[in-house]
Amino acid sequence: MNDLPNRARSISSLRDFLELLEDSGQAITWSDPVMPEPGVRNIAVAASRDANGAPAIVFDNITGYPGKRLAVGVHGSWDNIALLLGRPKGTTIRELFFEIAGRWGDQEAQISYVPETQAPVHECRLEQDINLYDVLPVYRINEYDGGFYIGKASVASRDPLDPDNFGKQNVGIYRLQIQGPDSFTLMTIPSHDMGRQIIAAERENVPLKIAVMLGNHPGLAVFAATPIGYEESEYSYASAMMGAPIRLTKSGNGIDILADSEIVIEAELQLGERELEGPFGEFPGSYSGVRKAPIFKVTAVSHRRDPIFENIYIGRGWTEHDTLIGLHTCAPIYAQLRQSFPEVTAVNALYQHGLTGIISVKNRMAGFAKTVALRALSTPHGVMYLKNLIMVDADVDPFDLNQVMWALSTRTRADDIIVLPNMPAVPIDPSAVIPGKGHRLIIDATSYLPPDPVGEAHLVTPPTGDEIDALSKRIREMQLGALS
Amino acid sequence: MTTTVCGRCKSSGAITDYQGRQNGAVVWTILRCPTCNFSWRDSEPARAIDPAVRSADFAVDAGDLQRYPKILQQ
Repeated sequence: MNDLPNRARSISSLRDFLELLEDSGQAITWSDPVMPEPGVRNIAVAASRDANGAPAIVFDNITGYPGKRLAVGVHGSWDNIALLLGRPKGTTIRELFFEIAGRWGDQEAQISYVPETQAPVHECRLEQDINLYDVLPVYRINEYDGGFYIGKASVASRDPLDPDNFGKQNVGIYRLQIQGPDSFTLMTIPSHDMGRQIIAAERENVPLKIAVMLGNHPGLAVFAATPIGYEESEYSYASAMMGAPIRLTKSGNGIDILADSEIVIEAELQLGERELEGPFGEFPGSYSGVRKAPIFKVTAVSHRRDPIFENIYIGRGWTEHDTLIGLHTCAPIYAQLRQSFPEVTAVNALYQHGLTGIISVKNRMAGFAKTVALRALSTPHGVMYLKNLIMVDADVDPFDLNQVMWALSTRTRADDIIVLPNMPAVPIDPSAVIPGKGHRLIIDATSYLPPDPVGEAHLVTPPTGDEIDALSKRIREMQLGALS
Repeated sequence: MTTTVCGRCKSSGAITDYQGRQNGAVVWTILRCPTCNFSWRDSEPARAIDPAVRSADFAVDAGDLQRYPKILQQ
């Protein structure tokens, strides 16, 4: 375990990552009999209470699913994310943030192709009498979900109007509700890549084929959820960010897929058809409504021998969803902000996909932080998600909420709060005025600077920096050592 | 005893989609309502699947399915 960075770069599949997690005490196998409901949910929720150290859990004895395996919580803690990034357990969230931010735009993609006949994902193949319930040990994720959901699917598709363009292939995470043995609905919105492709296919009356990848290279789940440009390939991006090669092969319906995934479901859009979908317990911690969503018909399933179905618990936080996408919500906002304002020193948008964000900035003049906040609202993610923004000085670590509260307590005046009414909002924000429209809040908790006439009190300056961070870790290690 | 009445919209006629087995015996059945698409497993707690005790907040009105919006309209 002394060479974590190389071991992380050598991961090519979920199985490799589970092995690394197990070696590090970060994956456990649940072999006691468990009912799908409410047993799986209860165990997943109990594990996710520990955002720092929760292990992945592999179930291998779910009642009614003999011989089938289910993994939850694979990205369910900061320690698991640290190991994926080649860093040791106990790495702070701030350090992980800078690990990701430092990789942004820094690496080349390494994509290789494996012949279909040699790709592990195609070891077993079903082309008729398909029943998804016979392949996937599903369970109701939250008790009032409208059905059985696949919550951690990376869905790959080609642009229906430009199917030969590698860059325009889309890989994204969308929620899928099983609708009978060989059908599922897919929830998306027009601004997402998949939404654009569905609208285009239906308008031009051309087929839209997709490949749903389950149990994937753990880097893809992290990076496929990152909002990047439409013509950028998520595979290339994930490979570059991992600093590691990604092996692709072709699905039976001609889409580039990961060669080492556990399961791939091939399906085709039923043009113009909509079926009732939802509710689903979503990341704000509330249920989405019932709507009529596009439906896909399954045409084939490929899977590895003894596949592992990977799923997620999502709902009222803290959940795996928060650790899965948290850092990659922060990093693009940080990179985009720094193009305009290099004074930005860190971005913490971990909370509910950035519905609340905390940005630290070297304040140039009184009110400067408010200008930076307005720029944050115009980043691609900020347009829909950044609802509450707290601006702090660069001497405040936005990942340390005790420090953020200190700034709020000592540096905020009530008239340093801006409310922007009637702005666009992500439709599933339960506080929206109407779905899709709501108010934004900016709290300027930075210190006073000229031309502000009020001087600041003389601050106590406790020691900070690497030496103190190292001492803090050492104290923690000594404490843990005393326990063992 | 498996009921074919939907816990969500109270329509009857649910379809059996799958049966889970353990040592050869059926241990639960997954059903689907053809009216509102609710899917459930008959082994779930009553508060999620039994129309008599399930929360009305999550009911679907089988008589007014037009009220539910379509996403991605052209």
